[in-house]
Amino acid sequence: MTPPESMTDDLQPVQPLNFTLNGEPQNLRAPAYRLVLDLLRDVIGLTGTKEGCGTGDCGACTVLLNGRPVNTCLIFAGELHGAEVQTIEGLGGADDLHPLQSAFVAEGGVQCGYCTPGMILMAAALLEENPEPTDDEIRFALAGNLCRCTGYSRIINSVRRAAEEMRQSDSG
Amino acid sequence: MPQHNYIGQSTTRVDALDKVTGATVYGYDFVLPDMLYGKAVFSARAHARIKRIDTRRARALAGVVAVVTAVEAPWIHGETVQDKPFFAGDKVRFIGEPVAAVAAVDEDIAEEATQLITVEYEDLPPYFSPEHACQADSLPIHENFDDYFQVDFIVGGSRVDKPNVLEHFKLRTGDVEKAFAAADVVFVDRYTVPVVGHAAMEPHAALAQVDPDTAQITVWSPTDAPFRAREELAQAFDCAEETIRLINPFQGGGFGAKGGLKVEPIALALAFHTNGRPVKVKFNREETFRSTLTRHAVSAEIKSGIMRNGQIRARAVTLYWDAGAYAEKSATVCIRASLFAPGPYRIPNVKVDGYSVYTNTPVAGAYRGYGIPQVTWACEQHMDELAGLIEMDPLEFRLINAYEEGDTSYWGEKLHAVGLKECLTKAAAALDWHEQPQNGTSRGLACMMKPSKIPTWSNAAVLVDGDGEISLLAGTVEIGQGCNTVFSQIVADELRVPIDHVTYADLDTDSTPFDSSTTSSRSTFHMGNAARAAAIDAREKIVSLAVTLFEANKEDLILSDGHVHVKGSPWVKKTLGDIITAGLGAGAIVRGEGAFSPDGGIFPDLDTGRTPKAAAFYMYGAQAAEVSVDEETGDVHVHRIAAAHDVGKAINPANCAAQIEGGVAMGLGHALHEQLVYNAQGEIMNPSFLDYHLLTSCDHTEIIPIIVERPVGDGPYGANGIGEPPVTLPPAAVGNAVAGAVKCRIHDLPITPERVYRAVQARADGRSV
Repeated sequence: MTPPESMTDDLQPVQPLNFTLNGEPQNLRAPAYRLVLDLLRDVIGLTGTKEGCGTGDCGACTVLLNGRPVNTCLIFAGELHGAEVQTIEGLGGADDLHPLQSAFVAEGGVQCGYCTPGMILMAAALLEENPEPTDDEIRFALAGNLCRCTGYSRIINSVRRAAEEMRQSDSG
Repeated sequence: MPQHNYIGQSTTRVDALDKVTGATVYGYDFVLPDMLYGKAVFSARAHARIKRIDTRRARALAGVVAVVTAVEAPWIHGETVQDKPFFAGDKVRFIGEPVAAVAAVDEDIAEEATQLITVEYEDLPPYFSPEHACQADSLPIHENFDDYFQVDFIVGGSRVDKPNVLEHFKLRTGDVEKAFAAADVVFVDRYTVPVVGHAAMEPHAALAQVDPDTAQITVWSPTDAPFRAREELAQAFDCAEETIRLINPFQGGGFGAKGGLKVEPIALALAFHTNGRPVKVKFNREETFRSTLTRHAVSAEIKSGIMRNGQIRARAVTLYWDAGAYAEKSATVCIRASLFAPGPYRIPNVKVDGYSVYTNTPVAGAYRGYGIPQVTWACEQHMDELAGLIEMDPLEFRLINAYEEGDTSYWGEKLHAVGLKECLTKAAAALDWHEQPQNGTSRGLACMMKPSKIPTWSNAAVLVDGDGEISLLAGTVEIGQGCNTVFSQIVADELRVPIDHVTYADLDTDSTPFDSSTTSSRSTFHMGNAARAAAIDAREKIVSLAVTLFEANKEDLILSDGHVHVKGSPWVKKTLGDIITAGLGAGAIVRGEGAFSPDGGIFPDLDTGRTPKAAAFYMYGAQAAEVSVDEETGDVHVHRIAAAHDVGKAINPANCAAQIEGGVAMGLGHALHEQLVYNAQGEIMNPSFLDYHLLTSCDHTEIIPIIVERPVGDGPYGANGIGEPPVTLPPAAVGNAVAGAVKCRIHDLPITPERVYRAVQARADGRSV
């Protein structure tokens, strides 16, 4: 299959790649066709972004690209040029948890934890757009993030709780 | 009596913080400097002789470091029957079986090299169902079955008069034929369960390294049973277990698929040829579906004789288990689930024949529930059919027959701590069973019992250092079930310290005390006891030191909040660390040891299936489902499901509820849409999450977890287990609810809209399906 013309320039073997990752500038060289998932995990060493299927079906590899959730197993490194990327490591650490992270801990939204980073980032994108989601809106937003352990109840509870806490801290 | 600060509390998961920040390192994430990437070539044929494998072009590719086939890696492994080659040698037995593998400096080169390997086959007749494979004229899938190393309970090969049988389990109690003749109603029906996938979110991966000078082997794998994997490898290599070391990174779910050896043999075979460089093999999702493990497809025929008053007098069950191409755990799944196929009921006359049969499909093995989900589907559909025949309420029919405290079971065991009836009544009550259903809904229920295997062994060590830091060494793998939290609760409780003083040491077979496996819902019971004993041992050692330090009687010392003081003088207190340092010197560590293995397990008699103790303990449960069905589309909507499970004692109630919810959700997938579909050549047609439908958040249903506590005498604080039972019941409960809604029965899982629609059409035409 011939790639679309607009992409052919990006298919050079190795090219400079400048983007912002979790607030820090990144200047590296990588093949433009390297998957963002592999770039993050294997080149940069941030393994919080998970590989579950490699085909965009499970959402474990979700990160925020310019604030929007994307499956990093489906996009090429070249698309990062000039962009802002946020991974789970940049959302909050052990000492400064994002309200979604603390809600997942408190509500038991985590079991094996493999889907958790993608789930949390997808929920972060939802709350950015819709700070007061209904349960159905939460379910719909997370429909592309599969979890085999929890049955989703506690994940939905976690997102609802985080939304409430974020609204309270905004109004307070 | 000790004051329990943590037992029975819904303590926050101790592993959650690392998991929400992305800090947890799973098997798929684990890397080592200078490592190579391995990739396998898989069989494209279901049953064929291998005429030739040409690896020359792959070996010549720049960046390729090693290429292996059965010639370089001639080892054979297997837990109960040593039948599975690392790589297919003379023949292949399923599509997806490893044939060769490549190690290269990066994944792209490894991938390219595998495409340069060609395999020539000579096809043999394939068998895709147990019934077909064990017909008299079928060719053997394993010609040399009788020559394989096998454990003594294997009843297969030439010991059975059908070909390709791996195990024939027999149970004989009373006289079923006589009882059928005397029964008011005799009824027979047939039920099937398809093959399903484990579909843990983390695909399979392993990393292996072989020291070229010492031949010391190290494998990093998220296996659920590192000690058993070590033993199986040692048997395959015919070497001492001490030369093999298994290290466990975190596991991103397994549900049984990450036990035994799956991707490990490929990584290891390559690592023997890389001059010490470690080799990592990551299966992608498709490979994980095709080449690791599945759950057994089962067909079950059940015949029952009952009385009008609801008593079951006799039951005969014949089961065919599709083992797939290699034995794996199929013999023990067949034995331990066929034994319970008649259901948790007082039946005086019982006959069971369970056949586990080799076929040319991917290997079936352990799957959350170990065969109980399949037999529960069959038995509990049958129970509702019987209740219908005598026009009795299905709950009442079950309560008449269900086991209770002190009953002697049909296999000859006296049962204790039986919460079955309480589970039944509570699950039913949660859905207002005795009220008329509203808004066109329909309700169904089902119940079960699940054994936890016996005998197994757990050992633990608790280390307390001069800073008061406490480290628990336990071989239980954190597979998502919450074991690290539960054991930390137990240790903190017995040492009277805050739980954040307890850390869970990394699991390494060179330093962690032996544990049998993280399977069979056994960990809270077995390792809970061992961890508790180790904590008590450490506590007693520290108290002895404190007796000297305080110059006080042992009875006058009080442990509280990480300190010791003398009764009446709470202001003069010492930390555990201070006591150790004062008594043993700077840098000293107190080590407590604990071990547990239950007594009395006896393997079922090979001729009668009878035994006075078939399990370490039993878990009882019941679920009720409320559904509505759109008869025009066949669509089933599950509104609510109430799940009552007897856990003995909930050490962490929130975690028990979470296990129930997660298991029910997985079971709803099995009920409504999960099935691996094979084409006519035996190839899985839906090896992706696009085509294999896992439950999504949009399929989410209201789940009502109900915890029942009938303390088990030898369980820690009375606890038994909860990992597996919740997944066993949703298909049966939903199936019974659907049958009530559409007034006809669906005998085959999953209950797809198409099946429901066809059943409704058949009912309208006066046919049965």
